[in-house]
Amino acid sequence: MFLGEMYEGIKHILKRTFTMKYPYEKPLLPKGFRGRHILYMEKCTGCGICAWICPERCISFVPPADGQQHPQNPENRFPQYWYARCCFCHFCTDYCPTGALDYSPDYELAEYDRELLVWSPERLARIPTNGTYRSVFHADKGSMGVTFEPAEKEDKT
Amino acid sequence: MASQSPSKAEDLVNTLKTRFPDAVKGSKVEGPRRILITFDKNTFLDIAAFVRDGLGFDHVKGIAGIDEPTHKLIKVLYFTGSFSKTEVEDVILVLETELDRGNPVIASAVSVWPSAHFHERETFEMFGVKFEGHPDLRKLLTLDNWDGPPPMLKDIKFPEMGQR
Amino acid sequence: MDVSVGPQHPGSGHVRLLMRVDGDYIVSIDPDIGYVHRGCEKIAEYRTAVSNIPHLERPCIIDAIHLNWGYVLPIEELQGVVVPPRGQYISTIAAEMNRIMSHLYWLAINAGVFSGHTTIFMYGFGDRDLFIELMEMLTGARLTYSFLPPGGPRRDLPAEFQKRLTQLLDYFERRLVEYDRIFFSNPLVIARAKGIGVLKREEAIRLGVTGPVLRGSGVKYDVRKVEPYGAYSELEFDVPTFEEGDSYARFMVRFEEMKQSIRIIRQALEKLPKGPIARKAPLIIPEGEAIGRVESSRGELVYLVAGDNSDKPSRVKIMNGSFRNLVAMPYLVRNVHIADMPIIYGGLDYWPVEADR
Repeated sequence: MFLGEMYEGIKHILKRTFTMKYPYEKPLLPKGFRGRHILYMEKCTGCGICAWICPERCISFVPPADGQQHPQNPENRFPQYWYARCCFCHFCTDYCPTGALDYSPDYELAEYDRELLVWSPERLARIPTNGTYRSVFHADKGSMGVTFEPAEKEDKT
Repeated sequence: MASQSPSKAEDLVNTLKTRFPDAVKGSKVEGPRRILITFDKNTFLDIAAFVRDGLGFDHVKGIAGIDEPTHKLIKVLYFTGSFSKTEVEDVILVLETELDRGNPVIASAVSVWPSAHFHERETFEMFGVKFEGHPDLRKLLTLDNWDGPPPMLKDIKFPEMGQR
Repeated sequence: MDVSVGPQHPGSGHVRLLMRVDGDYIVSIDPDIGYVHRGCEKIAEYRTAVSNIPHLERPCIIDAIHLNWGYVLPIEELQGVVVPPRGQYISTIAAEMNRIMSHLYWLAINAGVFSGHTTIFMYGFGDRDLFIELMEMLTGARLTYSFLPPGGPRRDLPAEFQKRLTQLLDYFERRLVEYDRIFFSNPLVIARAKGIGVLKREEAIRLGVTGPVLRGSGVKYDVRKVEPYGAYSELEFDVPTFEEGDSYARFMVRFEEMKQSIRIIRQALEKLPKGPIARKAPLIIPEGEAIGRVESSRGELVYLVAGDNSDKPSRVKIMNGSFRNLVAMPYLVRNVHIADMPIIYGGLDYWPVEADR
């Protein structure tokens, strides 16, 4: 009477399990993953559209740390992000008229100090180097239906 | 098409207007599926009973309050729909009435549409509208010991959230 | 004796059900909601039309595309923006994938864990993760998509998306056979759910319930057929309806809806037109009021958006399925055993955060 259901459970006993041993194995993130933002300071004009569209009002404007005057930015102001409030919707990235903001796969942003969650423009301008991403799992015609394999390509950021 | 024979939506409006010539104060038809009827609040229960039995709109999808401090009104909108009558099942008939902002009182629709039970409780709590005849009118969503003013009125402002 | 179920719920959201109990029978139940009320509608008046999207999709985050789409439909109507056909198809594909994901969550928690079946909990969440991976490839985020501003979707389908989605749908169809064998045809589940919490057709219409609760009681009403939006008018699918009105019928409605969603996605991928995906929408909401509705996983979701010629809406009213189905709870949970209450509650698929906003 219960044979159908018991077969369903028993047939998975001898199959290979998959566990991703984070932080030694990390998932391969797709292009355009919404992690933290990258700021290209040579393109930002200080227009303020990112601060206006932000749902959480986490963007404010500060002058650059080295006091250098950038020619395309008349008011000499650059966005500063408060990541305690950011919901990572990336409307700022999409609505920026000059393309000065970009996506990045950097999601490991935890800090021990709350003040460190305010990212200055220079800190945002650093390109993240998160190392190689190793594994990807997706549905397949395999025996269990799901395969788990190491990714061959390195993450190009 | 609309000039030769009235559409189904205009038919419904005309039926309502001929039945209640004084109580129906205005109407607006936007496309085949949206009807707005503005009516006088004193005849609410008669109009509601006719809309349910005569026109076939058997349930209430929601009750919305809109606060207009400049006109000193609170508008209450009833969104009704029909599951049982197939000809009008895609129409949303909105019944709108205007209440005095100082003392908003209207008869409860629960005797006509039992589906309005929780919606009326929420509108009572958020706008201060009293529904007479509601079996259990008490606060629904805010804290049990909340004794402040109704939260959704436009007098309650939050300047720290920015300009409105 | 009064027993208070809640307000802390590890399974579903936070809601307090005050039960009056006599021995092993529940005499009456009084749902006391509002534990997760945040004032969504009030906050929505302080944000611009586009900034409102992450805010308004949070009430039911597992169903985010539908909550997002229902909000932009009246705004597009007020602004006079028409989404191009390719954008409509992409929104439809994302919405149907979201429906499958929401039903898998329901199957895992509301139908599985609440009746004690932990295997389907593991199966449901495991398969849902594969869909989440694909949505991450499409939108960039796992759960909080914010994918549909007024004017159309934000991104086009990536290069490998179609191939991987077809692979996943083939795999998922085989898994649905396993779900049937392990859960829906399981004699224990049938014994617990058949005949429990019967909602007859006239009562369902009178109480104004919506979604799978309504279709499990014999009323064939689906907003995708009644008022087609997106690409639904060009796609063929059935609306599953069951006559019995008990909890098992509500379970089966959602199971069949998952199969219909697979069918819709396959057709949409085949018929996908070429062209632009979105139009630029203005940043101001003109004066007026508009109503838009979609069929979310929990029922019919109606939005009223009123604008006053500024960039922020002056009133946003949300009427969702969970709040409307709340009226069925005191009606159904009467003179039943205490052990039947989780089955009835799970069958209604009540999402407290959505009901409280």
